[in-house]
Amino acid sequence: MQRAAKCALRLDISRAFCPSNVRNCRAVNRVNGSVSCRRYSVLPPPRDEEEKAMLDSMLRVDHAGEYGANRIYAGQMAVLGRTQTGPLIQHMWDQEKMHLERFNEILGEHRVRPTLLLPLWNIAGFALGACTALLGKEGAMACTVAVEESISEHYNSQIRTLMEADPERYTELLQLIKEFRDDEIEHHDTGLEHDAESVPGYLLLKTAIQAGCKAAIYISQRI
Amino acid sequence: MAALIRGLRAGRVLRGLGSVAVQGTLSPQCSNVRRGFHRAALLRLANDSKSDTSVPPPSYHEVDTAGESSSSSAHGESSEDAQPNTSFQDQSGEHGEDYETEEQLQARILTAALEFVPQHGWTVEAIAAGAETLGLSSASTGMFNNGAGDLALHFVAQCNAQLAETLAEQNNQVQLGQAESKKTAEFLRDAVEVRLRMLIPYIDTWPQAMSILLLPHNIPDSLKHLSTMVDDIWYYAGDRSTDVNWYTRRAALTGIYNTTELVMVQDSSPDFEETWAFLDNRIKDVVNMANTAKQVQATGEAVVQGLMGAAITLKNLTGMNQRR
Repeated sequence: MQRAAKCALRLDISRAFCPSNVRNCRAVNRVNGSVSCRRYSVLPPPRDEEEKAMLDSMLRVDHAGEYGANRIYAGQMAVLGRTQTGPLIQHMWDQEKMHLERFNEILGEHRVRPTLLLPLWNIAGFALGACTALLGKEGAMACTVAVEESISEHYNSQIRTLMEADPERYTELLQLIKEFRDDEIEHHDTGLEHDAESVPGYLLLKTAIQAGCKAAIYISQRI
Repeated sequence: MAALIRGLRAGRVLRGLGSVAVQGTLSPQCSNVRRGFHRAALLRLANDSKSDTSVPPPSYHEVDTAGESSSSSAHGESSEDAQPNTSFQDQSGEHGEDYETEEQLQARILTAALEFVPQHGWTVEAIAAGAETLGLSSASTGMFNNGAGDLALHFVAQCNAQLAETLAEQNNQVQLGQAESKKTAEFLRDAVEVRLRMLIPYIDTWPQAMSILLLPHNIPDSLKHLSTMVDDIWYYAGDRSTDVNWYTRRAALTGIYNTTELVMVQDSSPDFEETWAFLDNRIKDVVNMANTAKQVQATGEAVVQGLMGAAITLKNLTGMNQRR
């Protein structure tokens, strides 16, 4: 209740004092300058450059991750779209599309720079999805399991970072990340249910994909 | 520290001596120790002059007040111009009410120095002249490790802040329905024009400032200012892209801004008409490029679909396209 009141007050302040806030410190200026926020903003107004940098890099890598996952499912659908697993993959893809859209909104609202390597993740994701799908339904499921495990581990570590920093302050962001992490874990479990482990070379494939994901996360946080 | 200051207050002669001694040593390449001494001397001078004119002294200093006010009026005219009060730290380290940070003081000096840029150029002399108008010693240039670079960067930051304020105000007007929203090309053109017009008072010396900003140790800061400005302009133009367009748009606008700035410094037409014409043409180019890019993308998509069709045909021919 109190939090809702605080959020509403913050919203009003950011609308009414928009022009004068611009004179304040740059970091605050960049967020409070957005008059386009129509509802709760997921991030608190940053209190200094450091926090803005940390939140920026977190959102950048999350956005890149969802974008990559989107492309992986697109690749899988391109190969397996007309088979029996088509509807299942389509369902998971739709959820990822929803996540990506949410992150697009947040990035636009909070003026976060997207990663420069998006074209690379575009191609790499599609290629990964298509190649694993060519191994059959089990291959596609194995890829899903590996990627979703990486992503949910990554979200968990972000949740840990935010909880250690200040759970009160980042409540909305934590809620969002938890919700997305639960969706990813659901995808992971779905993959396991649909015979992911029966693909030949499962462990090798899984390790390779997860190593790639870790590298992608590391780079996207910085560039 | 407090006792020392009270001692200074009582000793008018000592204060007079201090100002002469500090003024005599004008050199930007001070060692750290001397810089620290100057800083302390300056702050004491600044504090004394300010607290004399702005803080009403307690009753037991009445005898001193008469002496102080006469010598402070002789000392300098500076303190009257609406500056924040400064007060000293006492020995327990507590601050007085309107404590001014060093950054604020530096900002004030640099703002005052801008007046003297047409006369002295973007140099340490301009900073020294600016400091003197604030009633500080010209040796306060020792505070600025980067000399003229600090002045140029401060000016750029000030212009960018002004631009952001103007754009936010315009945005507010549009949101409130009091103004029409502009098309993107027009918006960009107007924003760049507003920003470049801020250079007009300093246009004769601007090439010097540009070369200062391109010095290797200034490049990170000037690039940061440039990218912040371009990001601000695009944000208020309504760009919310989260893909590679984010980068291409900002790169395009950076190119437009830099080339227009270069044209402006050698433009001698009345009210810089040629510059604005050049700007118009560059913006048109970018818009054309964007349209071309869209067409290329559409063509590319059509080509990909054609290839997919060919692949499916091939699969059908080879019998691979059977339902499993």
